Amino acid sequence: MDFNFINFIFSANLLIKLITLVVIFFYTIFTFVVFTQVKVMTQILSLPYAESTLKIISIIHIALAISLFFTAVVIL
Amino acid sequence: MADIFVAPKGKNKPLLNSKSHMPILSSFCENPKGVSFQTQKSDEFIALFLRSHFLTNLSWIAIAIALVFLPIVLGAFLSNASFSFLSTPQIIHFTIVFVLFYYLIVFSYVFLSFLGWFYNVFIVTTERILDIDYSDIVVHNMAETKLSHIEDVKYTQSGFIPSFINYGDLFAQTAGTEENFEALSIPKPRQATDIITELTGKK
Repeated sequence: MDFNFINFIFSANLLIKLITLVVIFFYTIFTFVVFTQVKVMTQILSLPYAESTLKIISIIHIALAISLFFTAVVIL
Repeated sequence: MADIFVAPKGKNKPLLNSKSHMPILSSFCENPKGVSFQTQKSDEFIALFLRSHFLTNLSWIAIAIALVFLPIVLGAFLSNASFSFLSTPQIIHFTIVFVLFYYLIVFSYVFLSFLGWFYNVFIVTTERILDIDYSDIVVHNMAETKLSHIEDVKYTQSGFIPSFINYGDLFAQTAGTEENFEALSIPKPRQATDIITELTGKK
């Protein structure tokens, strides 16, 4: 009985871990979409200082998402 | 004898005589310097650059501030409640990841809301009117019409705050079946209407 309970806790834990990683992975893909969209918009409309600033912010966004993914892989 | 039919001074000043520096968050700029768009012709000049008033961002800024403080309030509440199961290493690791992920989502909410405002622009050139809409992360559209196709330009300014801060909606009606153009919550709508009317009158 105890063994089954531990097994259940372990599998539930693993399942939450997997779901978390998958969600963060998709979020990371989403950050690339944001970057692409920023690139497209800066091509359509060129505004002073906007291009570099927005691209840097979206690259930081990607970097943060990737860092979070690896943090989750390591600590979960 | 008084000259009653003399045009007021400064009324007929050329629209494109001098370019003005446009601050990055500007919502209203005549003859902006450094602004261009993809399909702009070499002899085409931007006469007016419009986007919604910065105050229209207050709603998402307020939501973002509330979202930033939400985990702190929740954390303070849970630490006061002192649930023993929350202090296990596994739960702490999950909490760290979830909180970081939460803040990343808040960051992207702020960034996308800002982009939605920043790239929702209305441009009036010497040739045409352009309405660039960035409504969603995967949706953007651009509509344009020649100034000669504009039949009527009008604006509405209703409510206490729009009247006090001087912002409103501008509508440019086009001929036939072409879609009408609207610039919502723009600053100085009367001045913008005058500029477009003057440009269409010149055409």
